[in-house]
Amino acid sequence: MNVLLLLLSLVVLPVAAQTAELAKQTSIKFALNWKAEPEFGGFYAAKLAGSFEKRGLNVEITEGGAGTPVVQMVANSKVPFGIAAADEVVLSQARGTDVVALFAVYQTNPQGIMVHPQRGFKSLGDVFGAPGTLAIQSGAPYTLFLQAKFPGAKVKLVPYAGGIAQFLTDANHSQQCFVTAEPLLAKKKNQPAQSFLIADAGFNPYGTVLIARRRYLEQNPKQARDLVDAIRDGWSDYLRAPEAANAWMVKLNPAMDSETMKESAEVQKPFILAANTPSKELGKMSTVRWTSLVNQLSDLKLIKKKPAVEKLFHNF
Amino acid sequence: MTLNARLASWLPPLLPLIVSLGAAEIAVRLAWVPSYLVPAPSEVLQSLLDDRSELALAAWATLSSALAGLALSFLAGTFFAIVLSSSDLARRAFYPYAVFFQTVPIISIAPLLVIWFGFGQPTVIASATIVSVFPIIASTLLGLKSTEPALLDLFKLYTASSGQTLWMLKIPFALPQIFSGLRIASGLAVVGAIVGEFIGGGGLGSVVDGARTQQRIDRVFAAVLISSLLGVVLVGAVNFISALSLGSWHSSERNSS
Repeated sequence: MNVLLLLLSLVVLPVAAQTAELAKQTSIKFALNWKAEPEFGGFYAAKLAGSFEKRGLNVEITEGGAGTPVVQMVANSKVPFGIAAADEVVLSQARGTDVVALFAVYQTNPQGIMVHPQRGFKSLGDVFGAPGTLAIQSGAPYTLFLQAKFPGAKVKLVPYAGGIAQFLTDANHSQQCFVTAEPLLAKKKNQPAQSFLIADAGFNPYGTVLIARRRYLEQNPKQARDLVDAIRDGWSDYLRAPEAANAWMVKLNPAMDSETMKESAEVQKPFILAANTPSKELGKMSTVRWTSLVNQLSDLKLIKKKPAVEKLFHNF
Repeated sequence: MTLNARLASWLPPLLPLIVSLGAAEIAVRLAWVPSYLVPAPSEVLQSLLDDRSELALAAWATLSSALAGLALSFLAGTFFAIVLSSSDLARRAFYPYAVFFQTVPIISIAPLLVIWFGFGQPTVIASATIVSVFPIIASTLLGLKSTEPALLDLFKLYTASSGQTLWMLKIPFALPQIFSGLRIASGLAVVGAIVGEFIGGGGLGSVVDGARTQQRIDRVFAAVLISSLLGVVLVGAVNFISALSLGSWHSSERNSS
């Protein structure tokens, strides 16, 4: 009997040790809300340069697509970290979650409306005042904001399915876009595109924001701080030299060619860096901006009671 | 029917509903399940009341598209089934393509529908038709092929034309199968219409899309509840027509109510 036990322990112990080793290296899942594109360049740069590994973190980045419910995935602890827009964080907390913003890639939100230049629009007001179709996410805060700002619109709002196929085939079609991505893709297809920033019309939540649950932060404070530090390094690298990360992202997302990747990385720089941002300030957020966002969402009747602003974000 | 008999017929389907809704309400109230995962039934009810005019308009849009799609699949599906039943060669040549409609992942071709038919109702109707046509073809074909041989011989004996055989024998004989195809298709037409609305716009599909964006899960459930009611109404309508046309002579509809 004792021999049997001994034999058993000989088999079991190494296996147990191995599992413990594996558990230590278990990857930290990080969910994007779109395909690999320069909007996420700094995250891939951090991975490439070993910024995560250097801090003992094994981070696994997963791509998303139209409708990937990243905020809900984080709120329900399916993944510890994810990417969302600042307005989604406010909505999520207003529905009772503890999702917090940790790092904002875009200081100016690149969400815009892309139109055919030959239509001669001078502003977003013109887009809404003319007939034709506008593909825009129904129910999204920026949609409601624009509808409230330009009442009596002549344009017909239609669902946004992602991509630019409809834009290429229909001369009276406008669509939502990241001004750092889709207009460049359209140009690549020999379809010039003009774009208007929604931020210029007055709705400018932080974009491409790193989120996590507050409870997760409290349980893993060091891991969260290390992750944000690594991400800040990654973005600082990517802004300086995007080539390596771009080459990797082209492999992950062949829908965007390397030339467009390069162009997009260049175009997005002013959206990431406010004037003279030192690299240690990258990604930081302000109470003033979050307060005005909460007020706007409340005015749009998207939230019934306002969440406490200081609980919405955390600057590491 | 006496009151007791009425109660006896309503209680079996109502009891599971009341128990499960009550359990969900308690689970959310006691915070066993967070309300952003599953909404409390009372929240869904509140959303139904708050947004009733918008939901009613959306439901009407979805219902009319689903009905149009169902009518199209009925016409096209029946016609196709008659052609297929007319000869073995036609069936071998075309039946595999009918299966295409059953297996087509509607969500992946929906963006193409928009490019072909434009935004709005045409796309929605096309989606409802594609999703609902196969059960009609398959059931009608089965019905047309299972006419009693003795009766076919009788029609031959009286030198009935093939048109007469079709109208007076084969189709009446196939009616139970045709109705069972319609029953399946009517639920699918609602699903197809909603998928079409995700891409083409309008109706309950749009409400679900917008509510999901706003993380309003209570509204998503309210819209889903209404869409399943639409399915129930359509299936009920088919049952009613089926009872009217078969009740007097076919065993499947006798004694059933």
